[in-house]
Amino acid sequence: MTSSTTAAPERATARTGAPMRRAILVFISRYATLIGLLAMIFFFSINAPETFFSRANFINILSQASLTAIIAAGLTYTLVVGEFDLSIGYVGSFVGLMVAGFMAKAGLPIPVAIGLALLIGIGLGLVNGALVTKVRINAVIATLGVGTMLSGIGFSYSAFPIAMGIPRAFTNIALGRPLFGIPNPVFVMIAVLAVLWTILNKTEMGQRMQAVGSNIEAARLSGIRVDRVKMFAFSVAGFCAALTGILLTSLLGSGTLGAADGYLLDAFAAVFLGSATMREGQFHILGTLVGVLVLAVGFNGLSIFGAPTYFQPIFKGGVLVLAVGLSTLARRYAAQA
Amino acid sequence: MLTSSSPIIRVASNSEQTRPGAAARPALGPWVEIRGLGKHFAGEVALDSVDLDIMRGEVHGLVGANGAGKSTLIRCLAGVTVADRGTIRVAGEDLRPGSPRAAERAGFAFIHQELNLVPHFSVLENMLLGVPKVTRLGLIDWKRSGAGARLAAAKVGMRVPLDTRVSELSIGERWLVMIGKALARNAALIAMDEPTASLSAAETDHLFALIRDLSASGVAILYVSHRLDEVLDLSDRITVLRDGVIVDRSERGRLDKAGLIRAIVGHDVQTREDRPRPLVTRTGTPLFSARNVGRGHAVKDVSFDLWRGEILGFGGLVGAGRTETARLAFGVDRLERGHFELEGAPLRIRDEADAVQKGLALVPEERRSQGLMLDQSVAFNITIAALKPFEAVPGLPFLSSSKMRSAANRLVKHLQIKTPGVGTRIAGLSGGNQQKALIARWLDTNMRVLIIDEPSRGVDIGAREQIHDAIRDLAKTGVGVILISSDVEELALVADRVIVLHEGRVTGELTGADITESRIVELSYLDRAELAGAES
Repeated sequence: MTSSTTAAPERATARTGAPMRRAILVFISRYATLIGLLAMIFFFSINAPETFFSRANFINILSQASLTAIIAAGLTYTLVVGEFDLSIGYVGSFVGLMVAGFMAKAGLPIPVAIGLALLIGIGLGLVNGALVTKVRINAVIATLGVGTMLSGIGFSYSAFPIAMGIPRAFTNIALGRPLFGIPNPVFVMIAVLAVLWTILNKTEMGQRMQAVGSNIEAARLSGIRVDRVKMFAFSVAGFCAALTGILLTSLLGSGTLGAADGYLLDAFAAVFLGSATMREGQFHILGTLVGVLVLAVGFNGLSIFGAPTYFQPIFKGGVLVLAVGLSTLARRYAAQA
Repeated sequence: MLTSSSPIIRVASNSEQTRPGAAARPALGPWVEIRGLGKHFAGEVALDSVDLDIMRGEVHGLVGANGAGKSTLIRCLAGVTVADRGTIRVAGEDLRPGSPRAAERAGFAFIHQELNLVPHFSVLENMLLGVPKVTRLGLIDWKRSGAGARLAAAKVGMRVPLDTRVSELSIGERWLVMIGKALARNAALIAMDEPTASLSAAETDHLFALIRDLSASGVAILYVSHRLDEVLDLSDRITVLRDGVIVDRSERGRLDKAGLIRAIVGHDVQTREDRPRPLVTRTGTPLFSARNVGRGHAVKDVSFDLWRGEILGFGGLVGAGRTETARLAFGVDRLERGHFELEGAPLRIRDEADAVQKGLALVPEERRSQGLMLDQSVAFNITIAALKPFEAVPGLPFLSSSKMRSAANRLVKHLQIKTPGVGTRIAGLSGGNQQKALIARWLDTNMRVLIIDEPSRGVDIGAREQIHDAIRDLAKTGVGVILISSDVEELALVADRVIVLHEGRVTGELTGADITESRIVELSYLDRAELAGAES
C-alpha cells in the first residue's frame, strides 16, 4: 500500500484537469443565463447609454416582460409536475377575445367580465388536466388539441377584432401607472410571481408538485393524489394564461383573434432558460423570471440597435434551442456529479 | 424457467481457440493491474489508492459495504468515471481513462442490476446492439451478423428462440442475454453486479454453472455481491473494500463467512439467538387482516392476520404474489376478491392516499424508481409523506422550512443516516442510507401498519443491521410490520412469524423456533397439493 501511495502523485498530474473542467461546466450551466443577462445589459448600456440605459427604457422592458412573465409562470407549474401545456397562448387569445366580448357585446360590468374570463381560464386548465390525468392523453397532444379548438371557437365568436364598446376604464388597467411611473401589469406580474413562488416553495401543494415532478410513482406511493396535483398545476397555467390575455386586450384596446398566440414560444424559451438558472434543470419561478428578462432585454436591445425585424424570430428561436440545450446539459451534469 | 437438474450449458471444447484473450492463457502474472487508484467525490474519499490484480479466467469476488468503493472501482474500469490518480494496465498496456470504448476494446463487459436491454427488441437485436452488422444493399443481414451471437447464445444456454422479445423473458433469461452479448463481443472480463438479486434458485444454479464454465474457458469474472455465501462458493479470490481501501484479500478457502463479515463491517454481527424478542400477544382482534384477497393470477387466495407489534414475514419466490398482495393492501391495484380488515372492521381503500390516511405505510421494492425523489434533498424525501406537522401556523397550508429541517435532522440522527446534511441531494447517498431515509419518511405519520418490501436488497451489511433494528424498534411501538423478503436469512433474523406464498397462495406458516432458512426455502417450492400430500 505504501509503495503505491508514494508512486501515485506523479501519475496523477496528467488527469487533474478533468474534475476541474467538470466543475467549470457545472458552474457555466448554472449561471450562464444570469451571466448572459448581465452581459447583455452591460453591452447595451455601454453602447447605447442614452437610449438603453435610461429609466424610461427599463420601465419599458419591465412592462414588456410582465405579460410574458405571468403566462410563463403558469407554464412553469405544468412543467414542475412533469407535464406540458401548449394551449396557453391560445387560451390567452381566446380569453382576451371573450373578455372584450363580455363587455362590448354582452354589456357586462368590468369586474364581472374579468372574473368570468379568469374562470374560463381556470376551467380550460381543468379540461387540459382532466384530459391528461383521467383520459390519459399525452399532454402535448391534449393541450395542442384544446388550443387548436379554442382558436376555432374564437373565430366563430368574432372573426373581427372587438374594439367598439370596450370601456375606457378597462383599457386604463394596462396603461395606468399608479406608482413611480411603473404601469399596472408590472405590479400584477410581481403579485403573480410572489404568490406562485410562495405556493411552490412554501406550501404543501408546492411540495407535492415537486414530488410529482421528481418521481411520480414514488409520489403516489407516498400517499400523494397525483392527479389532483396535476389538475391544480394545469388550472394555474390556465388562470395565468387568462390573466395575460385580459391584460393584453386591455393594452391593445381590443379583443383580437390570435393576439396572445405568440406568447407560447416566448414562455417556453423563458421557462427552459430558467430551469438552467441556479438549478440543475429544475423548473422554478425565479428562474422563469430571469428567462423572461433575458428575452425582454434581448428584444429591447435588438430594436434599439435597429436590428432588422427578421432577426427577432431568429433570436427567439435561437434562445429557445439554447435554453432547452442548457437545461438538458445541466440535468446531465447534475446526474453525473 | 430453467431447471437446475439438466446440464444446459455446453461450452464448446474449442472455445479457447476462438477467443483471442483466452489463447494467451496461461499467462504469467496478472492480466489487469490496477495501481494506486484514487477518486474523491465532493471531498469524500470513494477510492483511496487501490491496488488490485485480475488474472485471466479467475472468478474474483468483490465485496464491501455500500459506499465502500466497489461501484467507483467498477466505473473506473468501465471508463465511465475518471480516477483522480492511479493507473489501470491491461496486458501490460495502459488503459485510456474515461473511455468506455477503450474499456470495451480491452475486453471488459459490465452487467449491472438494471440490465441495459431494450425490452421491445429481440434477443438477437439486443445482443448485437452497437455492434457493426453485416449489411447487404444497406439492409442488415441478420443471418450473417448474428452468427457470433448465436454461438454465444448456445454457449450461455439460451433456450428461447433468438427472435423472442426481451420483454417476454424472465430476469434470469435476461442475464443470459447480457452475458451472451458480452461473449459476442469477445469479452475477457465480465463484471457482474449483484447478479442473483432477482433470480430464482434454479436460475441461480444455472448462472453459477455458467460462471464456472466461462472461467474455465479463460473469461475472468468480477463478481460483486452482498450474498457472501455465493461469493465464497464461487470465487477463486476475494477482495474486501471498506471506505475506499482494500482491507482484505484472500485466496479460496482462507476466509469463511464470519471472517468476511468482520472484514466488511469491521466488527461482529449479531445473530438471531443474540436478540431475544418480546413475545407478541396474538389474542383479541388482529390489527390488520387479509380475508381471501385476490386479483388475477398473481394473487389467487391470500389470508393472514397481523397483530400489534408483530413483524410478519412474507417468504416465497420472486413472483409468488408477495409484492402483489402488498399492492392490493396499499390500494395500488384494485382488489378483485376478498377484503382487508383493520382492527376487525372491513377496510375499503380507494387509493394510496386513502391507505396512508388510514394508517398504512409502504416502503416499496424498487428504491430508485418507486421510492426516491432523486433530485430532491434528504429532508424533502423524509418529510414528503406527512406535511401537516410542518405547518408554520397550524391549519394554514404554509410550511415552515425550519420545522422540516429539524424534523429531518432528528430522523437522520435516529436512523443513523449517513449524509453531509439534510439539504444534500438524496441521489448522493449510498443505497443503505437511501433506504433508511425511505423508512424515515413514515416515522412521523400516523402509521399503524408498515409494509416493507425487500428492505435490504443491494444494501450493505452494516446498513442492513441498522434497518433491521429500525424495523424492530417500530414493532416495539405497536406498529404491525409486514416484511417481504427474498433473503431467507433476513426473514429468519427479523420476523416473529413467517407466512410463505407460492403462486398466489399461502403455503405455510412458521412461528418462533420453526422459522429457519431451510423451512422457508422448502415451503417456497411447495404448492398446496404437494403440501397436502406431504402432510397426509
